[in-house]
Amino acid sequence: MSTDDRWKQRLSWLFPQTPAPAARRVVRSPALGPCAPAPLQASRRGVLRGMLAGTAVTVSLPWLELFAGRTARAESTYPLRFGTWMWGNGVRPEQWRPVGEGSGAAWSLSEELAPLAAVKAKLAVISGMAVKVPNYIPHWSGAGGLLTGLDAVGDDEDWTVAAPTIDQVVAAEIGGSTIFRSIEAGIDSNEIFSFTGPNARNPGETDPFTLYERIFGATFREPGAGGLVDPRLGFRRSALDFVMDDVRALQTQLGPTDRQRLEAHLEGVRTLEQRLARLQEDPPDLESCERPDEPAVEYPDVEGRLQITERAEAMHDVLAMALACDQTRVFAFQLSRPVANLMFPGAEDGHHNLTHDEPTPQPGVHNITVQIMRELAYFLEKLDSIPEGEGTLLDHCAILAASEHGEARTHAITDMPVVIAGGANGRLATDLHYRSYTEENVGKAVLSLLRATGVLATSWGDGDTYTADGLAALEV
Amino acid sequence: MLRRLLPAPRIALLLAIGLTACGDDPAKKPPADAEDSGEPSARPPVPEVAPGAPALRRLTRTQYENALEDTFLVDLYVPTAFEPDNEVEGLLSVGASTTSVSAYGVELYEQSAQTVADQVLADLTARTSFLSCTPSGASDAACAGEALGLAARKLWRRPVTEDEQARLGALAAAVGAESGDFDEGLRTGLVAILQSPHFLYRIENGAGEGGLRPLSPYELASRLSFLLWNSIPDEALLAKAADGSLAEDEVLEAEARRMLDDARARRGLRNLFDEVFHLYTLPTLSKDPLAFANASPELGPSAREETLLGIERLVLDEDGDFKDLFTTQRAFVDRRLAALYNVAAATPDGFGEVILPEAGGRRGLFGQASFLMLQAHANSTSATRRGKFVRTTVLCQEIPAPPANVDTSIPEADAESPTLRERLETHLSDPYCASCHRLTDPIGLGFENFDGIGKWRPTENDAVIDPSGDLDGTSFTNAWDLAQVISDNPNIEPCFARHVYRYGTGRLNVDGEDELLAWLADGFTRSGHSFRELLVDTVLSPGFRNVGEMQ
Repeated sequence: MSTDDRWKQRLSWLFPQTPAPAARRVVRSPALGPCAPAPLQASRRGVLRGMLAGTAVTVSLPWLELFAGRTARAESTYPLRFGTWMWGNGVRPEQWRPVGEGSGAAWSLSEELAPLAAVKAKLAVISGMAVKVPNYIPHWSGAGGLLTGLDAVGDDEDWTVAAPTIDQVVAAEIGGSTIFRSIEAGIDSNEIFSFTGPNARNPGETDPFTLYERIFGATFREPGAGGLVDPRLGFRRSALDFVMDDVRALQTQLGPTDRQRLEAHLEGVRTLEQRLARLQEDPPDLESCERPDEPAVEYPDVEGRLQITERAEAMHDVLAMALACDQTRVFAFQLSRPVANLMFPGAEDGHHNLTHDEPTPQPGVHNITVQIMRELAYFLEKLDSIPEGEGTLLDHCAILAASEHGEARTHAITDMPVVIAGGANGRLATDLHYRSYTEENVGKAVLSLLRATGVLATSWGDGDTYTADGLAALEV
Repeated sequence: MLRRLLPAPRIALLLAIGLTACGDDPAKKPPADAEDSGEPSARPPVPEVAPGAPALRRLTRTQYENALEDTFLVDLYVPTAFEPDNEVEGLLSVGASTTSVSAYGVELYEQSAQTVADQVLADLTARTSFLSCTPSGASDAACAGEALGLAARKLWRRPVTEDEQARLGALAAAVGAESGDFDEGLRTGLVAILQSPHFLYRIENGAGEGGLRPLSPYELASRLSFLLWNSIPDEALLAKAADGSLAEDEVLEAEARRMLDDARARRGLRNLFDEVFHLYTLPTLSKDPLAFANASPELGPSAREETLLGIERLVLDEDGDFKDLFTTQRAFVDRRLAALYNVAAATPDGFGEVILPEAGGRRGLFGQASFLMLQAHANSTSATRRGKFVRTTVLCQEIPAPPANVDTSIPEADAESPTLRERLETHLSDPYCASCHRLTDPIGLGFENFDGIGKWRPTENDAVIDPSGDLDGTSFTNAWDLAQVISDNPNIEPCFARHVYRYGTGRLNVDGEDELLAWLADGFTRSGHSFRELLVDTVLSPGFRNVGEMQ
């Protein structure tokens, strides 16, 4: 089977075969103003219309093109890990943008990026690129355009993505052999920007202790400990078999939309069944793997504010060790969701409110961005402290750290803040600042990232977001 | 075009016509009832309806919990981590018809099923609620099948087929044989029942051909019980489904009325308003204690209870005029809210009834902390959010979201602009902003005497607040006055009729239901705004009892 076919099969439930009789056409006005007439959107590429979970979407085929006849690629001894690390509400671009351009000594960190100093040599910072979608839905267009390559679908209060997010695209490729296909986690909300398809969000874990229990609880085995011996694993699998039979039988009685929704459910049951089977096998054997310390059971709010740093650090400790123990190779972490109105320490208002209400140059927003970069730095330093062979775990990662906006005050999706951390087993350039002066498509960087993880993509996006070229500066 | 600002349009339609809606003046809309001769006319017959397509409805978290409680007759602990509910146009019930379940969600369902099964087997009441036979051994398939069939009948809200019962029995017997423990088999069977799509989804397929297909009696029973109880049908209702009589008007009406008199209707009504007014977000709402001295983590839950208790009294205990919700001086407060409202608490513990003095300027839903807190920022008020709530949730008018690429910063308070009214000047003077903000801000500014958690304040930054304004041509002097103006708005009836309809059918209404919705709204008016009658009317309507063509 060719890679294309494998992909189509894997994601087949995203693409219903029956065209919808009454697809809801989504037509939006351009960003000119609320009273301007709305032009019709037309794609230059072939499209397939369908009803997906009640919402009409137009999925371009292929929104992701892959090389046919894929052959296995020589791997480093250490598996490559991929993750997204998202924060809400953008940055203050002038204060976030690095100083100077190029490699090594040619560039230095900005005020807002300063917390990342210890890992500067393992970063590629990209500034000036843009998400090439029409930006109809503040926050969600930017997030959708960046992470799926297609604009979000719907409106402010009722939207979804048009295609899977990049973490799930990569997980479909490299997530299959670990206990967890991917891990989604966040601090402020379980609404992680991770989707396996339209209306199919992957909710995240927001409680550090629960995340710990999930990965390092009773079923975790350290390297060399052998497979889990528990007769209940078999009983649980029998129950799941019963459930799968029920789902399949029910599917035959439903219309195409609901059949697709149940297909997603069925896929989840299959994944769980496989995980239970895998628990009975020998665990992965990586030198730096050890069960991390238990996080606190609770992180109660202090004076009405979330303990952001405490929670983030606890999550990052667990997540780093989950990668070191090869429990998963893919993660989607979200420090704060788009539009998050988190009360950061010292801030006079919620983050989102400040981005809109604080007079420029918005010192309050600036301080929050610095704090967010500090949390990112904690995680990256943690990954860099875990040895793997000649290098560190961070060297075997490709992490996309980004936000849904450049400047959130104006809901801009130009001058997007992008940090790519880890060298992806030597496949990505590091200690680099690339600045675009022409508002290039940020999809180019995403495509390079995809390729670095071993997803043999020839293109990414569609229409204005389409690119067949990666970002040359990023590729080794 | 003008009609689009009246209830029912979907935002997609609005957008399809170019977002110029904001340029229209809702004040110019035609009166809801053009001919008003004074004499009440006879109620017209129920119009024809072309309902929307059926959709699987995933149980919401509260429905999942209620279903377990009503099946096993005990309080069960359900793990807090759970596939999150999704909201569509403000309603979780509608979102439940569009989302699927993620891989993590499946994992959480499995964990929950195991936790629940353990508790059920360990509790004598729960255990005997479905297990009455005595097993002959660890692998007694007949006894296990009988017990599991009974549990599945309740949880799946329909009779279990012979084949299903046999499969459940066989599953339990196989595990019982391998483990040497009958309970282990029973446990596995329960875990399977609780993860089955027949439990996790409400199936409302309907039967027959064409665009108006009746729900099966069991599907209708479920739709009814989830609307009124937010939970599974009881035995009496299932019996009416079993003998087919539920399809008869009289039987359906009698069941609806019986269920409204049952204590479980409180749970149902509370859930409905939790969703419509977004009250379920109050317990996790964070407020800046530096900005608001009365803010505390307990205030949100108290505010939610006040609103729900008031609605429960009005609708279920008294069957009063629903519009009193907006203008009543009666309030149910605990000590925390009494302090916030500056009234004496009626009782040292819990909630007691007080009459709010006119001098306090506070009355009705819009004087309640729930509304005033939710529709505000963490450290300030928000005239835009409060006005938007009135427009979209209470009057069902559409307000498009702010466009991208605009500078939305509001100037800081200074001597020139001490109160929010002056600071929002640009919203209303810039024609670009004003097209939408003049729909929201003037209403919201009427509530400026209440701060971001609902405490009365005569001034802001030492300047006297001017709460006067006008709603679509009717002027008001303050929040007290505004409550009456909103209550008198003819959009209230169609709006709440639409909320109930969407909540009950689990989807957005379609064009083919416009006439029915207008008819239901008219019935609501004729009943003197009896919310009970609106519920019964909705249940009896063909839109509730049928589904459209399958898609």
